[in-house]
Amino acid sequence: MYRYDDIDATLVAERVAQFRDQTRRFLEGKLSEDEFRPLRLRNGLYIQRHAPMLRIAVPYGLLSTRQLRMLGHIARKYDRGYGHFTTRQNMQFNWPELKNVPDILADLASVEMHSIQTSGNCIRNTTADHFAGIAPDEIDDPRPYCEIIRQWSTLHPEFSYLPRKFKIAVTGAPADRAASEVHDIGLHLKRDANGQIGFEVLVGGGLGRTPILGKMIREFLPREHLLSYLEAILRVYNQEGRRDNIHKARIKILVKAKGVEVFRDLVEAEWALIREAEPDLKLTDAEVDRIRGFFKPPPYEKLADINVTQGQSADFQAWYRYNTRAHKVPGYRAVVVSLKAHGVPPGDITAEQMDAVADLADRVSSGEVRTTHDQNLVLGEVRQIDLIETWQALKALNLATPNIGTLTDMICCPGLDFCSLANAGSLGIAKQIQERFGDFDYLYDLGHIEIKMSGCMNACGHHHVGHIGILGVDKHGEEWYQITLGGSASTHSALGEVIGPSVAKDVVAETISRILDVYVAQRESGEEFLETVRRLGVEPFAEKVYGTAH
Amino acid sequence: MAQLIKGRQLVANDWVLGGGEVQPPADARVILPLADYIKAIEAGEPADRRAPLLKAENHDVSPLLPYLDRVPLVAVNFTTTGDGRGFTQARLLRERHGYQGELRAVGKIRVDQMFFLGRCGFDAFELLDDEDATTAIAQLDRFSVAYQEGSGNLTHTRRRFGG
Repeated sequence: MYRYDDIDATLVAERVAQFRDQTRRFLEGKLSEDEFRPLRLRNGLYIQRHAPMLRIAVPYGLLSTRQLRMLGHIARKYDRGYGHFTTRQNMQFNWPELKNVPDILADLASVEMHSIQTSGNCIRNTTADHFAGIAPDEIDDPRPYCEIIRQWSTLHPEFSYLPRKFKIAVTGAPADRAASEVHDIGLHLKRDANGQIGFEVLVGGGLGRTPILGKMIREFLPREHLLSYLEAILRVYNQEGRRDNIHKARIKILVKAKGVEVFRDLVEAEWALIREAEPDLKLTDAEVDRIRGFFKPPPYEKLADINVTQGQSADFQAWYRYNTRAHKVPGYRAVVVSLKAHGVPPGDITAEQMDAVADLADRVSSGEVRTTHDQNLVLGEVRQIDLIETWQALKALNLATPNIGTLTDMICCPGLDFCSLANAGSLGIAKQIQERFGDFDYLYDLGHIEIKMSGCMNACGHHHVGHIGILGVDKHGEEWYQITLGGSASTHSALGEVIGPSVAKDVVAETISRILDVYVAQRESGEEFLETVRRLGVEPFAEKVYGTAH
Repeated sequence: MAQLIKGRQLVANDWVLGGGEVQPPADARVILPLADYIKAIEAGEPADRRAPLLKAENHDVSPLLPYLDRVPLVAVNFTTTGDGRGFTQARLLRERHGYQGELRAVGKIRVDQMFFLGRCGFDAFELLDDEDATTAIAQLDRFSVAYQEGSGNLTHTRRRFGG
């Protein structure tokens, strides 16, 4: 993984000193709350329902085991012994004290981490495929480009006061595992006819109250021009994006208002000028190779694929089937560490689990742990012969729930329990669903289903792109839930369709149960839930949900 | 009198803001809203004693370009704190259009933005009355390194690949 040199280390250390000074001035009354807010947000610090919330950047979802142990240390020392992984592959702590935050940032800096630009109207953490570098279908590893983008976007003097937040995702494989179509910019690595590496560029995707899928504005951008093209998009957005209405300020609204062709022309014109004026933005092969050198795969052993499930327990076989994934190197497998144990808020992990996962990764994987946008962890480099040991260790930690890709592998925001923006609870609904659908045979029969749930229309839980989306709404002070069907954040993403009026809190699981009944009754052989919804439309599901309820 | 920082110190402000009801003295150096500035120059007023005031929210700097070779000072007014368009204006004037004279940030700028303002090419800063000049000056050198090219002589990442 990327390692800091003196430039990176100095920058992060000076950032800590800056925030320590800003916090001191705030606590001494020299900065008002209004003045301090944008400063703390740019360091990932929110003031939430109960306490501040600190969001720590996990660049493109890659953690060393040393960094994971530091997160465990922070959870124990400054928080309540646990943390929460987010849909942007970051970690959130829900109970730090403001006065301790500079010390937390200093602890993070000691392991080459920070919380820079994890909030605020600036360029956020760039996300990537959590199987980057190991996926059999990969064209090129997206992480070196993410690191290049991280550096370019960090404390960018021109783009630190954008109209609104800005999110970039990079994928390196035909299968989109980074929800790239719902990002402000989605970059898809590809090769042109000559075999040169570059990017397909999507712009203007996003969720929130106006969900829109990204539009392709450049079919092939040679990789050397990555930064100049990003700079052109950001400059056009910074100049033309709306600032009069926070709900109309994302780039998706600008692209929609101008039309994608006009927007593309503006970007291309600006790009031509930037390429002339800023030759230093051009990525040399030497620089890309230098960064790529940080992401070299570990030395693999020459192994053959083996049948590890033969003669093993049904429990292990289920875990192998649902919680491990193919690896491009024979004899290896990627392991998904389930943070979706029934009875635990999705994405939550205790300090003890963090330490133990770090130890396990050092023992059976590569000393690195990946975070996923669907709020799990991945051990990327596990030898197949070590899978049983890995499973046993994870099982002992309650991190081997064999439910990845099933109904209870939900994405879920913290909701009303923690978040001051939320209209409704989401963790309680997650629990209700986990309890209702605790039978694994039923979950396996249902197959691949993605539930995504947000406690408000800001859509941190990506509900628009859930196969089943759940959105918490406030109705006269009561929590209600709107259900959508047919969304997807995978390749050829789709936005879900609302099935009808929102449902009361106590019948969310019952509503989902009725939806699933329709699927089970109407599915054709081998047809996944999403395919059935796409084939039938939402009507038969709505009939079942509302027909008997009215 | 607003505090003015230039060259990392408090300096006297020898420009006045015109365009209002009160006529400045005939020999005064006057900053005028861009449209008034253009009218004044076209009417033959002395170019060394007239300066344009851009608004951050009017992001297009092109009306100023025909006059840039004789402008002693360009002021950019931030009507609201943190209007990113003013940062782009500064970079365009400095980097694309080669403007070398004083570039002054006025209006609702806060001291914690000064590092970025400086990196974009502003070299003079009119502080709000409640801001502390010492704190403000310190912010200009808050970082000794940067990942991007920009005004000033910071160590930045080009060093890594021999740029």
